Amino acid sequence: MTDTAQEVEKILQPVRENPNYLNLWSAYKKIQALDLPLLENKDTLSIAVIGSSTLEPLAACLEIKIRLEGFQTRTFVGGFNTYRQEALDKNSLLYKSNPDVIVLSVDAASVLDKMFISDYVRKTEDERKSLQDDLVSSVVAVIQTLKNNTSAIILVNNFLVPVFSPLGIVDNKQKLGLKLFFEGANENLVDTFRESSQVFIVDLESISGDFGKSRTINWNTWYRGSVPFSEEFTLILADEYLRYIRALKGRAKKCIVLDLDNTLWGGIIGEDGLEGIKLSNVSPGIEYVDFQRGLLSLYNRGVILAVCSKNNYDDAIKVFQEHPYQVLKEKHFAAMRINWQNKAASIAELAEEINIGLDSMVFFDDNPVERAQVSLAHPEVLVVELPKNPRLYRETLEHLTVFDVLSLTKEDLVRGEMYAGKRKRAELEKSAESIEDFLRTLDLKVKIQPVNDFDTPRVVQLIGKTNQFNLTTRRYTDAEVRQFREDKSAIVYSMAVTDKFGDEGVVGVSIIKMKGTDWWIDSLLMSCRVIGRSVETALLAKIASDARAAKAKKLIGEYIPTKKNPPAADLYERHGFTMSSETENNGTIWELNIDTDTVEIPDWIDLQEE
Amino acid sequence: MTEFEDKLLDIISKVLLLDKDEITDDLRRKDFEPWDSMAHLILVSEIESEFDMFFEDEEVVELWTVGDIKRVLASKLSS
Repeated sequence: MTDTAQEVEKILQPVRENPNYLNLWSAYKKIQALDLPLLENKDTLSIAVIGSSTLEPLAACLEIKIRLEGFQTRTFVGGFNTYRQEALDKNSLLYKSNPDVIVLSVDAASVLDKMFISDYVRKTEDERKSLQDDLVSSVVAVIQTLKNNTSAIILVNNFLVPVFSPLGIVDNKQKLGLKLFFEGANENLVDTFRESSQVFIVDLESISGDFGKSRTINWNTWYRGSVPFSEEFTLILADEYLRYIRALKGRAKKCIVLDLDNTLWGGIIGEDGLEGIKLSNVSPGIEYVDFQRGLLSLYNRGVILAVCSKNNYDDAIKVFQEHPYQVLKEKHFAAMRINWQNKAASIAELAEEINIGLDSMVFFDDNPVERAQVSLAHPEVLVVELPKNPRLYRETLEHLTVFDVLSLTKEDLVRGEMYAGKRKRAELEKSAESIEDFLRTLDLKVKIQPVNDFDTPRVVQLIGKTNQFNLTTRRYTDAEVRQFREDKSAIVYSMAVTDKFGDEGVVGVSIIKMKGTDWWIDSLLMSCRVIGRSVETALLAKIASDARAAKAKKLIGEYIPTKKNPPAADLYERHGFTMSSETENNGTIWELNIDTDTVEIPDWIDLQEE
Repeated sequence: MTEFEDKLLDIISKVLLLDKDEITDDLRRKDFEPWDSMAHLILVSEIESEFDMFFEDEEVVELWTVGDIKRVLASKLSS
């Protein structure tokens, strides 16, 4: 650790112990006083918070929470109600700060007429509608400007719906009552940006409802200094922004590892038997069914499930196969460890079998001793503090906001089925004589092409979250990928893979930048699901052949080592590239002379043309 | 030091970025750069929520020194 990193860590220490508002604010001011230079690397994040009120406290809490996640960060805080100028002026400090994420927080009251609430009752329906349109278009115009001027992810708070209406209990008897005015405005905001992968409407209204609407604002700090949110709520809102940042930076969790006894069902199957465990459509037992339903909902959108239980396999598996109220079946699990070995070892095996990092895993177990042991052995696993009361299991699961992705793709929705295919593939591999024999039996079909509009969201998702088979781990936003696609001297390739066990969809990406007769492989990455099927060879072969057709002379690849990407370390060496130089941070540059050398497509891969 | 004083010094030290033993009663807002209007706002609201009380607008303006804060707070808490 460098001196400054140590200094920052010392400042963050009290916040780790007690993450309250005062400690976060204090840490923010202390770090600001250090006046740190921002080093550009993948764990660096520049944020900007702009809007109609005093937003420094919100920005402070967000910055420190981002730092607690292990990122370096720099924060720009916009002036009081100067967000329009900051957005419009291309030379503003906002854009000079080169933000990765922009938070836009506009209070409706700052846009609406001062007499809005007083006069609302007397307005006609048409007048109300037109005021609503004005409110929405005023914010939309700012968002569009930001969108045109940056490639940052833009997080926009929606409007708080007031609790009070002068119309009282008959507010919703009017066609456009006061509450509907704001609810409708929020709907319009969401509709306007539904298709955007750059603009996200943050549901401030519902987060505030969950927290307690009357505690969302501290009227003292609001009237004294136009601070829009109370101290406690500022922390909650910062946590919400953090969900987007984790998703953007590939920090989302991917897999839930579940204990069985007293976690998925009540009681102990080995002692209580199939009829004795608590699992039912009434209480006691329905709590576990509801927890399982919650798990299934996450499975259905792409979260991987696995089992880690100390049990006799035959006892436990019977519940999955025979219990009438068991919601999750064997087919929903990518892997299972039901045995008597220690759970830290089982979880390490699960990570290897599923082929994901331990830091992508979340562990649910009712037993605090097992939890402590796993935590100690694998600090990178998120070990959930499961409450003793099973009635709170589902709520605990629902409050875990760690599985977010910035876009849901068709690959997410069928991930579970893909893992079922993976298990079958693994069985076949065991029975095959050699790895080539195994690959030949798979009927691999690979389609590599410059990415189309339809697959771009998936490509952006892969760029954002792929850690293991990723040569350079450069994270690009949707807007940046779109720029590469339009750039004549760049190509963004997507690779889709199918075999006889299923369609994996788009699982590989490469970004090429042409410099004279050199083709630079800026990025090359592949989902861990297809590691070991030699499809990376097909991708390199296709790139080499396109480069040759374009009269390029050299193909240049780069490897930037990270903690996660050793699986990709020997890619260029394996394919006949020679190392030409070393870069800082132990990186290496590799070259292939395409006049004299080539990369062959393996004979078991059917490369499909467009 | 009383518990009350310790809590107060804790807040002041965190907002003004001073060690507790660097805080003196005659530390003055106008002479100490980190004690800007934002710091003052946070100082006041943190004291309010810690001691469950409320400063009038005039009182907020008149809190010029650490000594002022102690005096006003003590009189409020004893009344």
